[in-house]
Amino acid sequence: MAEDLTTIITSLGITNESFLAIVVIVLLVIGAVVVVIVSRPVLDIYPYLLPNAKIRARKGRLFDEKQFADFIEADSGKEIIHYLRGFPDYSFHVDTHFEKDLIATAVNHQIEKVLDIQLGETYNLISRIVPDNIKKVFKVLAKKSDIENIKTLLVSKEANLTNEKTEELLIPVGSLYHTFEQLIDSRTVEDVVAGLDGTEYGSVLENALNNYKETKTVLHLESALDKYYLESLLSAANVPAEDNTRILYSYIGSQVDIANLKIILRSKVDGLNYETIAPHIIEDGYQIKEWKLKDLIESENVTGIINGLENTDYFPVLNETVDIYNESGSVSIFEKALDSYLSNYANSLALKNPLGVGPIIGYTNKKEKEIKNLKIIVRAKREAGLSQSALEEMLL
Amino acid sequence: MVVIELGTALAAIGAGVAIGFAGLGSGLGQGIAAAGSVGAVAEDNDMFARGIIFTALPETQAIYGFLIAILLLVFSGLLGGGKGLDVSSGLVAIGVGASIGFAGLGSGMGQGIAAASSVGAVVEDNDMFARGIIFTALPETQAIYGFLIAILLMVFGGILGG
Repeated sequence: MAEDLTTIITSLGITNESFLAIVVIVLLVIGAVVVVIVSRPVLDIYPYLLPNAKIRARKGRLFDEKQFADFIEADSGKEIIHYLRGFPDYSFHVDTHFEKDLIATAVNHQIEKVLDIQLGETYNLISRIVPDNIKKVFKVLAKKSDIENIKTLLVSKEANLTNEKTEELLIPVGSLYHTFEQLIDSRTVEDVVAGLDGTEYGSVLENALNNYKETKTVLHLESALDKYYLESLLSAANVPAEDNTRILYSYIGSQVDIANLKIILRSKVDGLNYETIAPHIIEDGYQIKEWKLKDLIESENVTGIINGLENTDYFPVLNETVDIYNESGSVSIFEKALDSYLSNYANSLALKNPLGVGPIIGYTNKKEKEIKNLKIIVRAKREAGLSQSALEEMLL
Repeated sequence: MVVIELGTALAAIGAGVAIGFAGLGSGLGQGIAAAGSVGAVAEDNDMFARGIIFTALPETQAIYGFLIAILLLVFSGLLGGGKGLDVSSGLVAIGVGASIGFAGLGSGMGQGIAAASSVGAVVEDNDMFARGIIFTALPETQAIYGFLIAILLMVFGGILGG
């Protein structure tokens, strides 16, 4: 057989050297094709490996059900602080920002501040470590602390709080914290808005200032900030070029949908008209687009809104809770159901896309949920006589 | 100048394919596993030993490729100065190299991805270690099939014991 092969090669006029060269070239071509095909998924996965490992390590440190049960059973805010001190993610902030010998109400405010700092630093950490193609979204997310601080300044001036009290309420996180420190001395809401001129929030607040002057309530300014934040988030995510950005867009878009639905549902219960609701609505989303939003705002009642959501994921979520709403009349039933949907959705994204953006979305949502639940527990501890089962019901 | 027969030269290409592609898969897999492990160790120092274990798993594909390459070099007469191979045995040797090379490439990459994911699961929950090892070991089978076929090709293709 060996002779036959040699004869064939020779009869084709191919020398041994040429035959070897042909074999090498063929193998190189096959090898190059194989490498290109197999490297594509690796290139998609590679940027997420390091951040995902870091994120999952932190996810493992989130409080489990048993630890939450301990928080619920705590007798006071001081006991919660003592408990938080035992966890590395919180101990530093507790030791740094917690003043000893505070009165009970101040203890609760301080705990909330510690929780806000932890959340703000979590956003900052995520925005630092995520891959470049999704960094923009998490940088916007990290601005949440700035927005909360602006709201604190506005409310403080509206309520005529002292400078010391205002400073105590500010969260020392975020890129504009030092600007906010300088604004503590402002005398009025208008002064705070003027002091933010030159920042990205300046024009947003300027546009809403007339409404404030008419109504003398900072709600319009707060609403304008919330709207700006969600629009920025949606705009940063709205470049779904590949799977990871598409998944992130679906999550951010769902957040916007839910924020819109909460406003529409609450406004409808309060009997507000289209002209009042429309300025607070973000004009796009993931499942609920502009034309659908218009229909929903114009719906007669809550049932009409829910029926208008048919063919979206929100319909079964809200439809299941209609009976409870009819009994209680509380729109917070819907809000809780929507929050729960978003949490489940984030979890499903984490499971479906474990080597990409999934774990980052899953952790971000779980961390937010942890902080919200801790705040609910801390606030509930102020209410005398609230049973543990009632408190558990309130948790997300 | 050393004169190498055509069959022996083909066996040399086979040896290169064996260690080249198996090493590529192993290297990529280990790189993927190491990137995940570094992130885990950065958050939790206790993860170092377990990270090393997961990162070491995709090494085996390179070892299989290396073994086959050595066997080809020895039995084709390139190492040890034995008699060379004829053309048909040389072509079989390329098949031997391709068998372990490509199987090692896929297996190594797959194992690396599974290892990185397992490291993430372990750093989140310590109890996942044993199950992570089992899942990470599964893509090893493709490399074992490639290795077995490579040995069988060498035996029945007249390279080993011929």
